[in-house]
Order: sequence, then C-alpha cells, then structure tokens
Amino acid sequence: MSTTLLKVKEVSKTFNGQKVVALDKVSLSLEKGKILAVLGESGSGKTTLIRLIAGLDTLDNGEIILNQKVVSSNVVFVKPQQRNIGMVFQDYALFPHFTVFHNIAYGIAKSSEKTERIKEVLDLVGLSDKEKNYPQELSGGQQQRVALARALAPNPELLILDEPFSSLDVILRSQLRKDLLKILKKTNTTAIFVTHDIKDAIEISDDILVLKNGNVVQQGTTTSICKNPKGAYMELLFDSIR
Amino acid sequence: MKKRVQNIRRDTTKWSIFLLAIVLFIAVPIFTVFVNLFSGPGETWNHLVAHLLPNYLFNSFWLIIGTSILTLFFGVSSAWIVSRYHIPFRKPLEWLLILPLAIPSYITAYAYAGIFDYGGIIEKIIFTKIDIMNIYGLIFVLSFSLYPYVYLSSRAFFLNQSRNIIEASKLLGAPDQKTFFKLILPLARPAFIAGVVLVLMEVLNDYGAAKYYGINTFTTGIFRAWFSLEEPETAIFLSAILVTIIFILITVEKWQRKRIGYLNSVENHQKVQRENISGKTKILFFTLAFTPVLFGFLLPLMQLLYWAFLTFEDVFTLEFINISLQSLGIALVSSFSAVLMALLLLFLSKWNRVAFIKQIAKISILGYAIPGAVIAIGILIPTLSLDKWLMSVFKNVFNVKIGFLINGTIMALVYAYIVRFLAVAYSSIEASSLKFGKSLSEASTLLGSGNISTFRKIEFPLLKPAIFGAFILVFVDIMKELPLTLILKPYSVNTLAVKAYEYASDELIMEAALPSLCIILVGVLPVIFLNKLITKTQ
Repeated sequence: MSTTLLKVKEVSKTFNGQKVVALDKVSLSLEKGKILAVLGESGSGKTTLIRLIAGLDTLDNGEIILNQKVVSSNVVFVKPQQRNIGMVFQDYALFPHFTVFHNIAYGIAKSSEKTERIKEVLDLVGLSDKEKNYPQELSGGQQQRVALARALAPNPELLILDEPFSSLDVILRSQLRKDLLKILKKTNTTAIFVTHDIKDAIEISDDILVLKNGNVVQQGTTTSICKNPKGAYMELLFDSIR
Repeated sequence: MKKRVQNIRRDTTKWSIFLLAIVLFIAVPIFTVFVNLFSGPGETWNHLVAHLLPNYLFNSFWLIIGTSILTLFFGVSSAWIVSRYHIPFRKPLEWLLILPLAIPSYITAYAYAGIFDYGGIIEKIIFTKIDIMNIYGLIFVLSFSLYPYVYLSSRAFFLNQSRNIIEASKLLGAPDQKTFFKLILPLARPAFIAGVVLVLMEVLNDYGAAKYYGINTFTTGIFRAWFSLEEPETAIFLSAILVTIIFILITVEKWQRKRIGYLNSVENHQKVQRENISGKTKILFFTLAFTPVLFGFLLPLMQLLYWAFLTFEDVFTLEFINISLQSLGIALVSSFSAVLMALLLLFLSKWNRVAFIKQIAKISILGYAIPGAVIAIGILIPTLSLDKWLMSVFKNVFNVKIGFLINGTIMALVYAYIVRFLAVAYSSIEASSLKFGKSLSEASTLLGSGNISTFRKIEFPLLKPAIFGAFILVFVDIMKELPLTLILKPYSVNTLAVKAYEYASDELIMEAALPSLCIILVGVLPVIFLNKLITKTQ
C-alpha cells in the first residue's frame, strides 16, 4: 500500500491573463509523516504552490492528488474546507476578536472532547496559561505558537507552514525552529514548510524542493541535496551558509 | 483553449451567477444610456446643437476652470497652513474646514442669493446690491462649497510627507518660498488633482444651484430635454456627452492616484513637524485658513439660521414633520439597501473564482461618477418599458387594468439611490476589508468554515465599524441628493432636499431655510466622524 499523501503532477499557474507564469509544470510527491521544505526566493512560486495545494487558488493545468483523491485539476476542485489541510500563515492570521481558546476551538467539531483537545494542543505548544488572552496581548513568538496549535487542533492530514519564522528575530527563530520540529515529529504530522532560508530547510525538513522562477531547480532528500547541490543556483544557496 | 473553457466551467459556482445577476441589476441604467445612443438623437437635436449646446459647453467649461482655480487655492493653502504651522485655533480649524461638505451646494447658493439680495447683509454694509446670480456667482458658491475635497486630499498628503525632503531643501540653502513652490507643490500635485476631479464631478452633477442662478449646464440641459422638450433621446445624447467628460476626469484621477501611491510609498520617513511663526504671518495665515470656513460654512449657516428664525412658525407644520419623516425613512431604507448590496458585491466577488466575472463586477461601482440626472433617465427608460409590458400582461391575461408598478414608486427611487451611492458604501467597506487582508478569511476556510459561516463569525464582526460608517456616509448623501430625487420621486412623497428646492423655486427662499438646516444637521455628524478617521489614520 502506498504511503504517499500528496502528489502534485505538472501543475502550472499563471496570473494577469497568462502574462506572469507563477508555476510551470511543477511536480512533487510527499510521503506520510515526512516534512518537505519548499525553498526559494521571493517570486519563485513557493506561495502559489502551497495556495494551490490548500485550495486557496485554482490551477491552470495539472493535477493535485491528496490521499489518493484528485482535489484539483481542470475539471475538479475540492473546496479548501473539505481538504483537511491545516495552515500556519506568514502573518499567523489569528482572529483578533477571539481569545486564544476560541481561536483554537474554531476548527474543532463540536464534541465532548473539544475542551480536552484544546488543552492538549495548548500544552503541546507550551501556552496553557494563555488561553484567556487575546492575540494582540501575546508576543510574536507566542502568536506563532497559537497559530500552530490552531492548525494542529483539528488533526489535519497535511500541515502547511508559510514562512512561519519570517517576522521573528534571530534568537527566537532558532528556538522556535527546534520546538516546531519537536512538535511535528511528536504528532507525526506530514508537513510542507515554505521558506527562503536554507538553514530552516536543512534543520527541519526530510525532503527539499527548490523553486526558481516557477520551475523546480532540484528536489530530493535533505541529505542528498546537501551532499550534491546541482547547478549554479544551488551552489549559490549553499555558499550563503558556508 | 479547451482547458480554459474547462477551467471556467470548473470555477463557475452559484456565487458567480449571483454576482453576475447583481452586476446586471446595478448596470441597467448605465447600459440603457449607452444602448440608447445608437437609436440617434431626437428631432430637436439640431436646434439644440445650434443654439443651446455651445452655451452648455461654454458655461460648463468656465465652471470647471473657475471652480478648479478657486478650490485649488483655498483647499491647498488651508491644508498647508493647518498641517505645517502653529496658528491660533488650529485644531478646530482642521475640522471646521471640512464642514462646508455638510451643506449641499444648492443650499449654499440659496443662502448667498439672500446675502447679496436687496435687504441682504451685503447691501446693508456697502449700500449697493451686487448681482451674484450669474456664472461668477455660481463659481464663487460652488468653490466655497466644494473646496473641502481638495483640502482633504492635500491635507492627507501634507501630513504624510517626509520631513527629510524639506530639511534637504533647507540644507541646500533654499528659502521657504522656493521649497514650497519648487518642491512641495510639484510633489503634491497628484493629491491636488485627485481632489479637484472630485470637485468637478460634483460641479457637473449640480442641478439645484445652476438652475437657481439661471446658468445652463449639461445637467440643466438634460432636465430641459426630458421635461420641456419631451425628448428622452436628446436627454440621453446630452447624458452621453456628460458621461464622456466624467470618464476622462476619472481616467486622469486614476492615473494621478497611482502616482500618489508611488509618492507615499516611502514608509521609513519622519513626519513633518509644525513650525512656529511670528505675529504678522500668524495673523495672515489664520485669515487665509479661516476665509473658506467663513464663506463656505459660517456665513451661509448664519443666513439660514436667521431665515429659519423668521419663518419657523409658517414652515414648521405637520406637513413639514411628515416630509422630514418621509425623508428619513427613504434615506434609511435606501442606505440599508445600498450597504447590503455593497456587502453582496464585495463578498460575492471574493467567493467567485472566475476572473473575468470579477472584472465585470467593477462596472457596478461606476454609479457615483455618473450624475444623478443621467442615472434617473437610465432608470426611467427601462422601467417605463417594463411597466407598460406588465400592464399589457395584466390586461391580456387577467383582464385587470393596473397602473405603473415601478415608475413613480419608492421602489424606482430606492433603486436609483443604490446605483448612485453603491460606490460610497462599497469603497469604505472594501478599504477596511483590505486592511484585514485575505489571510483571516482563508484561515477560517481552512479550519472548516464555509463562505457564509466565515462571513458571519469572522468578517462581519471585524467589519462592523466600517459597515456602520458606510451606512452613515450613504445616508447623508441621500438626504442631500436633489436631481435624481426630483425626477424619480413619487407624487405623494417628498423629501427635505426637494422641499427646500421647491420653496426656493417659488421665490420663498426664506422658507427654504428650515428644511436646509435639517439636512445640514444630519450632514455635520459624519463630517466630524470623517475627520476623526483621517486624524486616526495619520
């Protein structure tokens, strides 16, 4: 039996009446329980790719298969709320008029175990004492943890993290990177992690996909890519951390 | 191509269909004007072109030139003074300078007609009557009534301007005058022009003031063609010329707005600090900033208060209370409908996934740019046809004789208000929605909520203040509206604006004061609210 959770097949997307090519025949596959880093500079197409996977945009060509079911193609479009995908947004997107507790409760179906589940994820991210606070009363790092807890609470099949560390300072970033990896492994969550920082990608992911101008430059396991970066662009990326 | 068709079919949902239906509903008057152009003008068109059109063009041209110069002078100078210098009463002046917006220009026109008339305050002071009922008088009235549009856009620009630019100029040895004329003015030009374009749209939309001062403009011409000459085709042709002028203005404004965005894009700057100035300059600057408040608000207001005091007993009757209630009722229902339609338009556009339908949807917010008289005609023509069709259906099928079901009813009037003021509601709600960004709604969707549920739980609670603000703005605009109401209102119904116009037309100008004051009272509150909003944004 296949353990592949996500398959993206030759997906293309253009904007502005086909004038701007955001993605050009991009393919990837992701095994259950693995973490894939999508690495690339601004405008490389990484955000477009995850938006298509989440169902926040529609593709022009290609196919996206989630759990052996086509969720996006030229004829099929499964709504984002029916895909069971969680997402941590770059700006966290916490609902400002809800407390931490209600932010996390938002995505959990009504059941007797709802409160228990909220407490469980709050424990997981180490914010048990903050459930009554409003997002704006929390620090950037705490907000990021709430966003993670909220995305994990409904037990998504796939978790997408869109540059979650981009607005944090260096020290906090390093701490949260470690914590995030611990949480994802503990919960055995399959995740796609979008970043422009190669350090983040190497430290967190099992696999890496590198995008440039909407095209795949290289993809493979983190170890293989680190050992054998191909082409001038990959050399340049690795030079920045050597 | 096949794949594109497949994608459109995949993306077409009930929301797309619903959105298209709303756009069609709103765009009917605009399409009507456009389509009727092809049926050619009426019989009197040649006469009109030979004898009246040059006059309409001449007057409209001079009104545009005159009001542009005066509104630019008073709008820019007052904005510069209150945002740059410490002068006496600066804080109250900042919002007093916006208050002329609360007085419809036709009411300011009535007030000035009285101020300059025999027995008016001017004649009492200088013992001679100055005739103001001409194009110069109209330019004077419209300029003092509409300069706040230039003041608001200029002030917003000056408050956001970088201090570094001014300091760099000073360090290069330039005196204050040179910094102002060579640097500040050219840089702020897009903001001025954006304000002037709004002024000109109002000038071209004006009916009440031009009619009262006996100046023929395009809008008065449309009324004449429809009601005196009874030639809808000619009215449509005049409307088309007017709409073309407006669209040229909108294009200029859009181009300028892009440039404002560019000029304001420097975020990491220090704001300009207000300077202290010496005694004489202080008095001069205070006088300059106070003049538009005096002529645009205080003088007309005092004249109206005086008249209202004299005529209160005659005017404040049961009929007046009835008209006030009708006015309030119509404005409440119409603003509620306009806000509801704006919300539908905004959110259906968001939920619809077909790109070209999203583009088409933008047509529906063009109404604000199109003069009320043109919208009224765009509504009268199709609704008359629909009414006639309904009458024949009822007669032939049910053998029942009925009257008009849409024309001459509140329904047509409310519909016209929605078309005209939808953009006001839409843009203020959209601005707030853009501030929250897409991610909150997307987060809600990914957490399992559908579009309606996301709207109910996330978007509506966050947009509530903006929705309320939009409601107030539309409400005031409807209370003030004249040309559209004059054409479309039912016989049995009246509004305060129309009542003031009727009194003034019947030479009972003093009696027009009380309904005018009621409109001003309603208008003052949102102007203060608008000022608070701008100050908060800074």
